[in-house]
Amino acid sequence: MNKVLIAKRNKTTYNFKKKVNHSKYLILMGIPAVVFYFIFNYIPMYGILIAFKDYYPKKGIMGSPWNNFANFKTIFSNPEFYTVLRNTIIIGFFKIIISFVAAILVALLLNEIRMRIFKKTVQTIVTFPHFLSWVVIGGFVANLFSRTGAINNLVNLAGHDRIEFMSNGKFFIALIFTSDVWKEAGWSSIIYLATMAGISPELYEAADIDGATRLQKIGHITLPAIKPTAVLLLILSVGGILSAGFDQIINLYNPLVYNVSDILDTYIYRQTFRSGMPAGQGAAIGLFKSVVSFILVLIVDRIAKLCGERGII
Amino acid sequence: MEKENKKISRKRQRRNFLNRLQGLDWVIFAMLLVYAILIIYPFYNAFLISISPEHVYLETPILLWPKEVTFDNYRAVFTNKTLWSGFGVTMFLLLFGTAYQLFFTVITGYALSRNKWIGKGFLMNMILVTMFFGGGLIPYYFLIKNLGLYNTIWVMVIPGAIDTYNMLLMRNYFASLPADLEESAKIDGANDIQIFVKVYLPMALPMLATVGLFFAVGNWNSWYNGMLFIEKANLKPLQLILRELIATSSSQIESPIGVTDVYSEGLQMACIFFTIVPMMSFYPFVQKFFVKGLVVGAIKG
Repeated sequence: MNKVLIAKRNKTTYNFKKKVNHSKYLILMGIPAVVFYFIFNYIPMYGILIAFKDYYPKKGIMGSPWNNFANFKTIFSNPEFYTVLRNTIIIGFFKIIISFVAAILVALLLNEIRMRIFKKTVQTIVTFPHFLSWVVIGGFVANLFSRTGAINNLVNLAGHDRIEFMSNGKFFIALIFTSDVWKEAGWSSIIYLATMAGISPELYEAADIDGATRLQKIGHITLPAIKPTAVLLLILSVGGILSAGFDQIINLYNPLVYNVSDILDTYIYRQTFRSGMPAGQGAAIGLFKSVVSFILVLIVDRIAKLCGERGII
Repeated sequence: MEKENKKISRKRQRRNFLNRLQGLDWVIFAMLLVYAILIIYPFYNAFLISISPEHVYLETPILLWPKEVTFDNYRAVFTNKTLWSGFGVTMFLLLFGTAYQLFFTVITGYALSRNKWIGKGFLMNMILVTMFFGGGLIPYYFLIKNLGLYNTIWVMVIPGAIDTYNMLLMRNYFASLPADLEESAKIDGANDIQIFVKVYLPMALPMLATVGLFFAVGNWNSWYNGMLFIEKANLKPLQLILRELIATSSSQIESPIGVTDVYSEGLQMACIFFTIVPMMSFYPFVQKFFVKGLVVGAIKG
């Protein structure tokens, strides 16, 4: 009996060694990934402990004392946190909706245009801004929409008073959505355009025979055909609602509009690195964001599966 | 004779095509035209400012064509030491960083595209978790400090070795290539590295170009890590210097690139143009690679 067991174990170790030896080069190729993901993704997860401590960099994470959730108590009792959270949700939510509609609209227009060269040219132009950094676009926006910028000069020529785009909260929020559409709508439309290209021409021919107008064809053939893609992309983006666009906001905003445009990420960054907020509180807000985002992803995945879509997890 | 006929029929086709354009076509055409103009205008405006002297900029409400051309703004950009140093850092990121990222991303993608090997499932799960959960900025910041990467050029290179999205793109592409090539190469006695380098890598060149271009753009536009982790002026990448230049112009703080003899808007726009002209000139030719990456990634991922 014993002998059989030992023999079996020997055989498994032998098999294991054989398997390792068999795929040793693939394992070798995978090792850097294990190391990189461990260092740059998993050690920060361990670093979340900072959120539960009075963190002193010199003492390290283990050496710093626990503080009985003091960081969470402080941030959750700070009205500023709720303003920032509200801003994040508003900006994140409307950005998703607006960019979703804009991308589909651009895709429909490009799909319907029949002049090939014109279509190609427009597509090249409108997808390009996706590759600019928000630093550059921030420069454009600041220049065009400043008090003495071209847009305000136009407003002035039209006989109106100059508009404080960069310091009036409402206008600034509108500017956030507009610049986001300017940068991304063309690029996001590509995926819908690719889906539209896959629709069978027979469907349109049949509709032609039935005497359908162009708008009817869009409503009854094109839009239903892109619905699965659209639904999937829409719910996927819900998971990122709390991210709301750090790069964009940090490059566009200024102290006058912090009250409407500060989002969780910019708040963490500015308070911790510019205003001396304890690291533990910054980490606590970060943890809050990660946990809520994760729950959102789970909910959204469940909804997707209920809708008969593939799901994402 | 036949040629003539063809010509006529093509002409007729063209006439038919123009006749078939209905009212709606012109509406769509007009909307796209306006959209394209709205995209182009900020570039055009920035370009005009960059070649205008200060008095023209101040006197003209809306520049629609160049009134007086000067290259002073560009001269200020090209003779500025800080900007050249930023350009040097960015070129390093572009050349070295892109190659580095491509190497690690592609070998990981390849390894994960192959059939079962010990540890594959472990690695895959390890990566999937990071797509849905992360530690956040503060723990990451202290990690970088503890690793001694703070204020070194490596902080903008080393952590970015593997980009999950592009890695999965590569993996899916390798997985879509015929698997029997691997079998026959194995029978010929090739090992996995040889199969990767000699069989699959050459077939994946278009996808390699796509992923490489995504990395190149990312490195050219890099400023975020610099903003967080770089204090030394000579290690700041171009976009970070540009960012500081734009941020300080409105306030009275001294310009981050030192004293120049041109007005701040002209300098900014010349500097912006300096960073986007390389991309603008390449983009029309490489657009198809980017589109391919997006479409393939969205369908499979």
